[in-house]
Amino acid sequence: MKAFGENKGRIIFGVILIVVLIASFAAYQLTGHMSIEDRYNTAVGLPASQEEEGGTFLGFSVEGNPTLYLIVLGIFCAAGFAAYRYFKV
Amino acid sequence: MAWWVIALCIVGLALFFLRSKNKPDHKKITIAAFVTAAAFAIFQVQIPIAGGIHLNLTPLIGILTGPFIGTLVVFIVNIFSAAIGHGGWGLIGANVIINFTEILVSWLVFRNMKRITTDLFSQAGVATFAGLFAGNLVMIAVILVSGIQGVNQTPDQILFGLCLLAAVNMGVAAIEAFLTGFMVAYIGKAKPDILEGDRK
Repeated sequence: MKAFGENKGRIIFGVILIVVLIASFAAYQLTGHMSIEDRYNTAVGLPASQEEEGGTFLGFSVEGNPTLYLIVLGIFCAAGFAAYRYFKV
Repeated sequence: MAWWVIALCIVGLALFFLRSKNKPDHKKITIAAFVTAAAFAIFQVQIPIAGGIHLNLTPLIGILTGPFIGTLVVFIVNIFSAAIGHGGWGLIGANVIINFTEILVSWLVFRNMKRITTDLFSQAGVATFAGLFAGNLVMIAVILVSGIQGVNQTPDQILFGLCLLAAVNMGVAAIEAFLTGFMVAYIGKAKPDILEGDRK
């Protein structure tokens, strides 16, 4: 019974996944290869974005100011660690 | 401006419900701190797939922290994203509404999926698809209601373009569904009490 429950969940997930991938691939073929911001601008008829973008690493890039990104991320991580220690989770 | 007002109302309601609880949930607060860091970290990174995509982890936030704390998490993440130059301050209101929808729907679907399956991966994966699909619908509604100034496209053309955008976004949702599914399945094995707190 447990195995059937697990399989039913996987079947539902698989069906959704296939439908989504087909629709997504068709939409990608129609719109072409572009960044998410440019895809949005094209969809609503705006010119291409001029958003500030940091350096890239293996194709990955940080949007916004990379230094501020690292500082804010460090503060969030420190806050998480402090909460972990303080609340003794 | 209207979206900012609605977003602040949602944040205010979340704070009201959290304050009305007799005892703060320390475990949830700690989890919220970590998912805030994780969501902020991943939200700023453009991943080189299909020209560049973003993940935002909102379904995972909803599943792990619930809709009230989750609303505060996405509000904070959006504020700091704008502060470092990713997106404008004027967009925060609309983004919070969209993210809140994703959190709420993912949380609701995840809570109810256990009636259908015992498999945590499937529960979280389907919840992620549902949440991000709802978020895309709200995104389209927000843009159509707001209107876009200075463009020559008709509302029908904008709707068609946004539907294509939403369809591509759902491809990204597939990646996020796998990530969320694996993470929730792992948490379910390692620390099941984190997931069961809200689902009893």
